[in-house]
Order: sequence, then structure tokens, then C-alpha cells
Amino acid sequence: MRFDTTARGYRQVTLLLALAGLLSLVVADLGIHTVSPGDELRRLGAGLFTPDFLATGGLMAALANTVAFAFQGVALGVCAGALLATVWHWRPVRLFSAIIRAVHELFWGLLIIQLFGLSTLTGVLAIAIPYAGIFAKVFGEFLEESDRRPQTALAPGADALSRLLFARVPLIWDHMRRYTAYRLECAIRASAILGFIGLPTLGFHLETAFRQGQYSAGAALLYLLLLLILTMRWWLHPVLLPVYLLAALIWSPPVAPWRPDAWQFFLRDIVPAPLREGGTGNVTPWLQDLLSTQVLPGLGQTLLVGCAALLVTGLLGMLLAPLVSPFFGNRLSRAGAHVLLVTLRSLPEFLLAFVLLLCLGPSMLPGILALALHTGAIVAHLNGHFSGALTLRADRPRGIDGYFWDVLPRLYPTFLAFLLYRWEIIMRETAVLGILGIHTLGFYVDSAFAEFRLDRALLLIIAGVCLNLAVDGVSRRLRAAVRLSSSIRETAHA
Amino acid sequence: MTRFTLVALLAILGLVGCDQPSDSPNSGDTPATFTFTAIPDQDEAALVERFSRVADYLSAELGVPVKYVPVKSYAAAVTAFRNDDVQLAWFGGLSGVQARLQVPDSQAIAQGYEDQFFVTYFIAHEGTGLQPSETFPEDIAGHSFTFGSKGSTSGRLMPEFHIREQFGKAPDEVFSRVGFSGDHSATIALVESGAYEVGAVNFKVWEKALASGDVNPNRVSVIWKTPTYPDYHWVIRGDVDARFGDGFADGVQAALLAIEDPAILEAFPRQRFVETDNANYQPILETGRAIGLIDAP
Amino acid sequence: MFSLRSENLGWSSARVLEDVTLDIGAGERVALLGASGSGKSTLLGHLRNQCPQDIAWCPQDGALVPMLSVFHNIYMGQLHCRPWWQNLANLVRPGAAALEQVGTIATRLGLADKLRTSVDRLSGGQAQRVALGRALFSPGHILLADEPLSSVDEHQARHLLDAILPAYDCSVVALHDRQLALACSTRVIGLRDNRVVLDAATDTLTLADLDRLY
Repeated sequence: MRFDTTARGYRQVTLLLALAGLLSLVVADLGIHTVSPGDELRRLGAGLFTPDFLATGGLMAALANTVAFAFQGVALGVCAGALLATVWHWRPVRLFSAIIRAVHELFWGLLIIQLFGLSTLTGVLAIAIPYAGIFAKVFGEFLEESDRRPQTALAPGADALSRLLFARVPLIWDHMRRYTAYRLECAIRASAILGFIGLPTLGFHLETAFRQGQYSAGAALLYLLLLLILTMRWWLHPVLLPVYLLAALIWSPPVAPWRPDAWQFFLRDIVPAPLREGGTGNVTPWLQDLLSTQVLPGLGQTLLVGCAALLVTGLLGMLLAPLVSPFFGNRLSRAGAHVLLVTLRSLPEFLLAFVLLLCLGPSMLPGILALALHTGAIVAHLNGHFSGALTLRADRPRGIDGYFWDVLPRLYPTFLAFLLYRWEIIMRETAVLGILGIHTLGFYVDSAFAEFRLDRALLLIIAGVCLNLAVDGVSRRLRAAVRLSSSIRETAHA
Repeated sequence: MTRFTLVALLAILGLVGCDQPSDSPNSGDTPATFTFTAIPDQDEAALVERFSRVADYLSAELGVPVKYVPVKSYAAAVTAFRNDDVQLAWFGGLSGVQARLQVPDSQAIAQGYEDQFFVTYFIAHEGTGLQPSETFPEDIAGHSFTFGSKGSTSGRLMPEFHIREQFGKAPDEVFSRVGFSGDHSATIALVESGAYEVGAVNFKVWEKALASGDVNPNRVSVIWKTPTYPDYHWVIRGDVDARFGDGFADGVQAALLAIEDPAILEAFPRQRFVETDNANYQPILETGRAIGLIDAP
Repeated sequence: MFSLRSENLGWSSARVLEDVTLDIGAGERVALLGASGSGKSTLLGHLRNQCPQDIAWCPQDGALVPMLSVFHNIYMGQLHCRPWWQNLANLVRPGAAALEQVGTIATRLGLADKLRTSVDRLSGGQAQRVALGRALFSPGHILLADEPLSSVDEHQARHLLDAILPAYDCSVVALHDRQLALACSTRVIGLRDNRVVLDAATDTLTLADLDRLY
């Protein structure tokens, strides 16, 4: 007789994802291409134990820029996102938000640099634009799920703004606040990473230090970034927010030198080359060539790395979760695991991939590992946290039996829902890892920028958006098929 | 809480107010400062050494403040030049051509003496058993291969041109794995470590690394030298005379050609700088078009 | 004030009340009775839609904004009477005039000391009085209230209704306390089995008549 259980649906979805992941792992290039990765890792390890805070000049300015870009970017993103959220029921708005958040901050940065150079405005917009899309979605869904009764109880005739501010926003205010604080943490990571494309943030020096093998200097920068993120809960007091924002605006005002030829970007640079020359006849071969040599290989590799990373993320999340669950291990093991997970979670996956790439050589392995370590740490942390809220019977099974029979089945819906939510984000990150030399979409985007072919870059980025929308659609369908709740969405959007 | 806020506010604003550094973004573009950049073709330490000297020298010669703006990539150097974030740049052959395509009235004004007949070295890890050869080493096919930066002349354009000409195929199809190291120092390190078996490197960077003992000649060696081509050169924007006074571009050119201080020249490393013009780089433009790096007009 | 002729009320999928014929005139104080699910809320909602501008509305669940103060929740009764910038100013920092007006109503409802407390920190009965306060603050001259005092003790409920109802041209209040209905209304409308089964002046009715509705 067949079992008719809820768990069956979960198993089927899991199997589907695992098959895709396994297939990707089989096809993917997982080689270690450095001759002695051990030596490099040892040097890296030695560097981590001997951080040198004086090796990098202009460190404090880089730190201040990192925070300033993040604050301004989030401030702008919150405002724009909140505005979009008020018309969230409008389909074009949802599509627009989905598109702008499907493009990674680094891609936005590369595009906006063309317009505004290496200015503060570039850094701020690179964060604000995708974040506006994310805020719009999250705030819009908060509003959708909030209690509508207070609004309907109002007498008709009140203006829309008053209705919104009195009867809708207070209901979700607390969620909005917590989510914005969380986003600020993400923005600091993003801001640091923007240094990799030349903006004057921590990433600028991080990239130099690690690439030149100055691991002590790199480690110091890494610790500074970690310190900044991990101490946020102490220095990010709501009362001080306006002060920080004002300080950020004074430190580096979001302006850019005026370029009289900026119109060229829109009217010439991003127009497909054959069209620019005047003839429409050559567009098809141009497009075909681009599709077959860059777009399709890039999309394929991105999908491959993304699926493999999702599988490894899931495995890591499941394996590491018991380490921080109050039902397993002792206080010492939990504290150790906690530190490990928080560290991995706080480091941007792009940075992890960059460091692993230096040690292991350019294959897909560092990319998959970096994505899985970062996201797996988040998943494990969340799972451990949820398992803490479970009430288990006193005579429950212990150890491995306890985990698989008692704890995991209860955690699984949350775990699966979270993984499916993160899939979209993993794909976004995978695409951008190409900038580091893995042949995902970002590799071709980076090449296009290196060749000053903005038309190609834009087309490749649009292809990435389509892939992201498709993955999002599949993920939504899978979630709907097994009726997974959306309640963990708030934490899932990193 | 109010008092706490006030104190925090004053502290933060005070800190920001007094401590605003001159190198924070946006503060460097006052019109009186003449800024320049360079393609980041090797270790940043070398670049800072090289260009802080040049900045000091130019500032003394020209009588205006001169600032070096570091960038992360070849493309960023060209973009900075196009956006007028910098008015002068030390470009490679390809990046100079790309820059002049985007800023039509800009001029190549000086090149290194050696840049008139520049060469790319193909280097191989000792484990490949590849031997030095006078003609193109066809047996590099099937090995893994790394270029330098995607926008490099000596590390990308010329080696790719010769590979395509020899094999009639794209590098992806010739080699087992193709990478872009980012700069020439990284290329040497990658081939020396065996991460890539073969690589293409700027001969000047190679010889300097060899002379300074940064590379172990038993692990990696030169197997082929390309024919010569024009490479690195200084390019200046056409609108500098309008902004810094008549004859400013000529002044910059004269100052560059007059550099005799061995400390500055050795950092490049070049014997001296000689005059050049845009026409000298026509072959580079044509090569770029031939391998599809630059769109045909 | 209200006039219904053989109307079927409810949503297209689920008809809640059938064949309703009603006339409610000025000066009437109607008590609406019936088991839960009998359609009281549906009838009230329908009446509200007849002339929404004239209604002082107090829905069953209160529909308050829990994290806002008693002041803000009561203030919402006049949200449509003021321009948005005044509303915004009062949301951020209540003005003296608004505080005094709202304070008067809060005092009548026994909430004077809770004016600056958020609704999520009040008891069920207190929260109900806030919802009633919002209705009182609104300028409507017809009171429609859906079990406004179900969590308030009988004595206080009666006291409040006696104080409030005379101020309105007309009122329809759903109640579940039959004695309260007899004491405070001039007319009782009873619902059962999707129909209006009782519609009579209060002084012709006894508790036993009302018991038959359940």
C-alpha cells in the first residue's frame, strides 16, 4: 500500500532538486588546478593568524566609504521600495521589481560606472536599485498579508496617504524595521564587494591583498569587515540612524561629475552593434553568434553551478544544523559551531569564492563551495534556531535517531521552503561569480565590459534576468505544489 | 537618550568633518588638479612606486597638482579616461586604441623606447616538457593556457592573434583550459605554480621578475617570443589645453620625453620615453578587429 | 433612514440572508439579535453600504491597529475629515486640540488614563471600548455597531449604551445579551435560518420571545 503523507511531497521535491544537483556535479568541472593547494591554504591559514592592520594605507577611509555607501544605498532603496510596495497589486510593478532585483549589485555597478564613473553615486545606486526591488517585494507582501480590517473600518473619504499611514503601515512597521536592519547588514557586504570593480570600499584593498598573496594584510581587512557586521546590533540603534545617514552624506555626498556625453550610453553604447552601424540586416547573425558563443554557454554553466551549489547547500545545512541545535552536543560544541556559522554567514559568498579560487584554481569547485558554505551556514543557523523552538517529548530518541526521526521531519518544511527561496539568490550570485574567472554568465559580462561592448553586456545581463525569473517561477511552483508556507520569506531574502 | 544622541551626533559629525581625507571619492576632481591613471598590469606595490614618482615629477614640471588615480582593471582605466576622471593615462597598445575610439580627440604622445618593438613571451611550466623554439610552438595545443588581463595587448591581443593564426581556431578550442590571470605578475605565478601549464606574458615584466629573483627559472621558462609590435604609451585627452591652458598637452609631452631620472625609468622599466602618435597604433587596431575584440567600423 | 424590499444579502456564492424587508426610521434604536452566523454582520454591512458617509461604524472584531495608541485609534474616526498633512502631524506628534477632543471621548468610555497606551496592551473589554470610541469620534449620525460591548460587563455596557445611543438619529446595534437588548432599544430585529423572523417594538416583547431566536 502506498503511503499518503505530507512528507511524500517533500521527498519528491527533494528528489527532484537532488537529481538536478547530482547531474550538475557529475558534469561540472570540479578539478583542483593548483599543484599544491595545501601550501596555499597553509599560507592563507598563517595569514589568518597573523593579521596585519597597518599593511593597508587608507584603511579607515575604505571602511567609512563601505558604511557610507551601504547607508545611503539602503536609505534610497527603502524609500523607492516602499513607494513601489504601495502599488504592489499592480502587475507591471511586480515585474519591474523582479527585474531590477534579479540583476546583481556588481552588474549594476559595472553598468552605472559607465555613466557616473568611480563616484559615490555609482556605489549608492548599485545598492539602491536592486534593493528597491527587494524592498518592494518584501514590503508589498507584508502589506498583502497584513490585516485589512482596520482599513475597511475607516469611514470612506479619507485620503490614501492617511489611510496607509494610520491603518496599514503600523501593522507591518515592526517587520519593516527588522527587515531593513537585516538588509543594512547585507548592504555592507555588497558595498565591500563593490570594491572588486574599483569603488573605494574595503573590497578594493581586499582584492589586492589576497591576489598578491599578502594574506596577513587581507586577514586584517577580513576581520574588520566581520567586526563591522557582527557588532551591528550594538551600534545600530534606531535613534542614531539619522545621525549615521547624515554622517554618510557628509562623508561622501552622492554626487558624480556631470558628463555632457552621458546620452551616448543610452543612444549609442547599449544599442546592438549592427543597429548602431545603421543596418538592421546584420542583427540576426550578431544575435546568433552571441547566443551560441556566450549567452547559452554562460546560462548553462550558471545553471550547473547553481544547481550543484543548491544541493551542497542543502546537505551542509542539514549536517550542520544539529551542531547548533539545543538538543544535540554540549555547550562548548554549540558555541564553536555558532561562531563558525556566524562567520561563514557574515562573509560575502563572492569573497569566499575569490579566496577559494586562489587556493584551488579556476574550476567550478571554489564557486560551488563558496555558495554552499555561505548559504549552508544560514540554513543551518535557521534550522538550529527553529529546532530550539520545538517542544519534544521527554522520552524522545537521542542522537542520530533523534535527529532523523524526531527533529528533522518537523524542520523539513521550513528547511525546504527556505532552500527554494534561496535558490533564486544562489543563481544571482552564481552568475556574478563569473567575474572571478569561472565561466558562468558573469565571465562573459565582464569580458563584454573589458571590450567596451555594452550592448553585449546588457544582453547578457538581460539573459541572466530571464534565467532568474525562470528559476523563481519553478521555485514558486514547487513551493505551491507541496504547500510550503511563506512565513520564512522574511529571513530568506539575503 | 536625548543627551546620548546629541553627544553621539556631535562625535560622529566632528569625526567626519575633520577627518575627510583628500582621497575620498569626488573630492579629487577640482579642475586645478591634473589626474592620471595607468592600466594595472602588475603588482600594485610596483604601480604605486612607479606612479607616485611620476606624479611628483609631473607636478614639479607642470606647476599644477598632479594626482595618480589607481584603478582595478584595464577596462576601468579606459572608462576613467573616457569619463574625464583622469586626463592622462599610461595605456597598453590595445587599451590605448580602445580609449581613443571612445575619446576621439585624444592623442598618443609618448611611448617607451622598448614599446616600439614590444614582444610577448610564451612561458611554460617545466612539467610540460615544452622546449624553446624559434617558430610558433604548435605542441602547446591541448595544454592549459592563461592569458593576462582580458584587455591586455601583450597578455591577450597578440598571443590570441598568433594562436588563432596558427591553429585557425579560438583559444577555447585549442587548449584544455583557458584563463585570464588579471595581470602579468599573476600569469607568471600561475604558470610557475603549475595552475596553468602555459601562459603569455609581457616580456618586460618577465625580465624584471627574472632579474629580481621573483621567479624560479627551473620551474618556468620562455618557449617562444612573438614578432614585435607597438605597445605601452601615454595618451592625453584633447580638451586639456582648454582646461589647463594653451600648450598644456605639449608641456606634458615634453615633460614625459625629458624624464631622465633612472629611478623613475627603472620602475617602468623603460630606457626612456620617445615621441609617438596615434598612427603608430594602427596595426594594433587592425589586429583587434581581426580577432573580433574590436567591432569593425 | 434605511429601506430594504425583499432583498437577498450575502455574497454571490453564499447567500446569508434571504428576502429581507425592513424599514428603519429616524429616532429608532434597533437591537439586532440572533445566533452567531445568523447574518447580523452581513445585515449591518449592507446597511453601512447604503450611505457610508453618514455612518458611525463599529465592526465586531474592532479592527483596531494594535500597535498604535488609544488616541490614534480613536482619532482614525475623523481621518477623512482632515487633510493628510494634519493627519501625518498628529500621527507623529498628536496636537493639543486633537488630544483634547479625543480625550473627551476616552473619558466618557473610561479610557482617560489609557490614552497614550497602545491597544495591544489593553484588555479585550478596553479594546472594544476603543473601537466604540472611534465610532463615536466619527461625524456619522447613524450608529451601526456589531456586538460592541460583548466583553464589557453588563452593568457598564448598559450604562454606556444609555449614554451613547440618544446622541444618534438612529442606531442599529447587534447584541447577544437579551436583557441588554430589552433595556436599551426601542425595536428588536431577530434573525434565524437566513431570515428575519422577529421585528417588533421592544415594549411588546419578553425575554421568552427572544429566547426562541436561539
